[in-house]
Amino acid sequence: MSRIRALAGVISLSAGLLFSTANLAYAAQPAPELVLNLTNQQVKLSDYRGQVVYLDFWASWCKPCQRSFPWMNDMQAKYGEQGFTVIAVNLDSERKLADEFLSKLPAHFPVAFDPEGNSAQTYQLKGMPTSYLIDKTGQLRIAHQGFHVEKQASYEQEIQGLLAE
Amino acid sequence: MKRKFLAFVALAGVLQLSGCASLGVQPWERDLLAKDEMALGAEGVDLGLDDHIYFSKEATSGGRSFAGGGCGCN
Amino acid sequence: MQLNNKATVASALAGAACALLGTPAAQAEEGMLKDWQFDTAILYYGETDRVSLAEGVINATKTNDDDSIFNVKLVLDTLTGASANGAVAQPYAQTFSRPSGKDGYVVNAGETPLDDTFRDTRVQVSGSWMQPFADTWRATGAVNVSTEYDYLSLGLSGLLEKDLFMRNTTLSAGLSFQFDSIDPVGGTPDALTSMLVPTYLGDDNDEGEDEFEWDDDYEEGENKTGSESKTTTDLILGVTQVINRRMLMQFNYGLSVVDGYMTDPYKLLSVVDNAGMTQDIIYEGRPDSRTKHSFFWQTKYALDNAVVDVSYRFATDDWDIDSHTIDSRFRFNLGDNDYIQPHLRYYQQSAAEFYRPFLNQADPLPMYASADYRVGEMTAYTLGLKYGHKMENGHEWAVRAEYYQQDPKNAGFDEPGVLADLDLYPSVKAVILQFNYHF
Repeated sequence: MSRIRALAGVISLSAGLLFSTANLAYAAQPAPELVLNLTNQQVKLSDYRGQVVYLDFWASWCKPCQRSFPWMNDMQAKYGEQGFTVIAVNLDSERKLADEFLSKLPAHFPVAFDPEGNSAQTYQLKGMPTSYLIDKTGQLRIAHQGFHVEKQASYEQEIQGLLAE
Repeated sequence: MKRKFLAFVALAGVLQLSGCASLGVQPWERDLLAKDEMALGAEGVDLGLDDHIYFSKEATSGGRSFAGGGCGCN
Repeated sequence: MQLNNKATVASALAGAACALLGTPAAQAEEGMLKDWQFDTAILYYGETDRVSLAEGVINATKTNDDDSIFNVKLVLDTLTGASANGAVAQPYAQTFSRPSGKDGYVVNAGETPLDDTFRDTRVQVSGSWMQPFADTWRATGAVNVSTEYDYLSLGLSGLLEKDLFMRNTTLSAGLSFQFDSIDPVGGTPDALTSMLVPTYLGDDNDEGEDEFEWDDDYEEGENKTGSESKTTTDLILGVTQVINRRMLMQFNYGLSVVDGYMTDPYKLLSVVDNAGMTQDIIYEGRPDSRTKHSFFWQTKYALDNAVVDVSYRFATDDWDIDSHTIDSRFRFNLGDNDYIQPHLRYYQQSAAEFYRPFLNQADPLPMYASADYRVGEMTAYTLGLKYGHKMENGHEWAVRAEYYQQDPKNAGFDEPGVLADLDLYPSVKAVILQFNYHF
C-alpha cells in the first residue's frame, strides 16, 4: 500500500514537471548588438543594417546544424544579390572542431567565431541551433529553435517576406 | 526496499526543485555531452551482447532498458 | 544526376539547386549527413569445459531529417557444449538420461554432472521507431521476435520521453510485454518427479559408443507434457539529468512481473540420504510467478581525453534474490582516432528461497526446488579491455577481450557424508572475444 502511495507521489511530482515548458514568445524588438569575429576581420551586426539577416547560432557537434548548412548556402546563393545575408555564429569552444566541420560542409556566407559563447548569452538561446530573421531596419522579427528540413519552404517564405518590405 | 523507493521519490523531488537553478548547462555548452561516447547507451551492440550473456548466466537482468527476448540459456 | 542512396533527398535537392545556380555543391558531406549507420559485431564466449557461444549482430540505424530514428537489428547465435545439470557430484560414476529420453550419459566419479547435449541456434530480429514530437517529446515503439529450436519469444514495447529545462532533464516512462513459449526436447517434465534413468551397459561394442538399457515398462515421454509459456510485463520509469558540462546522470526504476513457466526443464536435483549418497534424481520446479524491482543508476563523466562510465544496479524480487551489480568502463582516447577501454564488472546475488543444492531424503518434498547454481548465491566478476580505431574513411573497428568468472557459494547448507569431500560449488570461467565494425 505504502508503495502505491509512493508511486502516486512520483507521478504527481512528475506531472508538475511535464507541462511547464518555457516557450519563447516573440515580439519585434531591436536585435541586440554583436561584435562578429569573422575569419579575417571584425565587424558589428549593425553594419548589416539595410539587409535582411538570417542570424544562425550553431556548433559542430549539433546534428540539425549539419542539415541547415546546405540550405543556408542555397538561400545565400538565391537571395544574396537582393540584400540578404546569412551570418552563422559558431559556438564551439575549440576552433579546430569548427574548422573541421567547415572543411566538410563549406559555408558560402560569413561565419563568426564566438568560443566564449557571449553572443549566445546575449541572445539567451534556448536550443541549438537557433536562428533569427532580422529585417532591414535591424529589428528581430522571427526566431526558430532547431532546424526542421520539412519547414524549409516556410523559412524561405519568411525571407522573401522581409525582402519585399 | 521501501527505503530505496523513498530515495527515488526524494531524488525526483530534488530534481524538480533544482531544475533550472544550478544543475545543467546552457544549450551551447553541450560540446562534450554531444560526443557519441558520452551517450548513456553508447556501444549499444556491446551492451546488448553483455546483457545476453549475463541474462543467461545470472538470476537478475535488465534495469538499463528493455532487454530483447529469447532464452539462449545454459 | 545520380542519386546516391546515402544522401538524403533533401540534401540532394539542395545540391541540385546549388548546381543550377552555378555554386559548387557541397560534396564533402561524407560522414556528416550520412543517414544510415551500421554496427556489426561477432562475439565468441567460451567457458572452460562447458558451453561456448558464437554470436553475430548487425544493427542498422537510420536517422531521418526530422530526427526520427529507425532501427533494425538482427542477431544470430549458436550455442554448443555442456552445462551443469544440477545434480551433485558423487564418489562413484552416475548415469543420467538425455532430455530426449532416448539416450543416456555417464558422469565420472567426483565430477560435477554436466549435460553435454546443448546445441541450439537462435535468430532474433528487432525493430524500433523513435519519433520526436512537440519539440521536447519523443515516443518509441519496438517489436522483437526471437526463435530457437525449443523457444519462441515475442515482445512489444513503448517508451515516452520528455525533455525539460532546456533538455537538461529528461523523464521517461516505458512499458513492455513479452510472450515466451518453450517446447522442451522430449517434453516438459513434471516438476519434482523422478528422472527415469537407463542402465549403463558399457562401451565395449564395435563403435565404442556408450550403450544403455531401459526398463521394460519404460515409455518415452513418461511424466512429461507438451509446451509451456510465460508472459513478462516490464515498466521502466527514468530520470536523466545533465549535471554540468562534463557530467550526466541517469536513474531508472524498473518493475518486472513474470507469470508462467519459469522452470528450466533440463535441470535436475539429487535427493540424497544421510550419508550424502544419491537415492533419486528429480526434475526441478520453480514458482510460476515472479515480481522484480530494479534500481539502476548510471553516470558518465567526460574528461579532456577520457570518458568514465559507472553504473550500479540493485535488484530485489519475491524469489528472495537480491543482487548488486557495478559496471564501469573507462575510455582513454589515444589521439583523435584510437582509444583503449578497460572494463570492470562485479556482480553479487543471494540465493532464491527455493534454491537447494540437493534435497535430503529424510525431509518432506518442498513445493519448489532448484539446484541451478544460477539461482543460488554467487559472486561474479568481469575484467576486460577494448581497443578501438577510427579509419581514414570514417569507419571504425574495435576488439574486445574479457575474462568472466562466476563463483557460486554455499548459502548455508550442510553437506552430509560424502558430499563434504566433493566440490559442490565449482567456479565457472569464461573468455569473451569480440570484434566490432562500424560504418
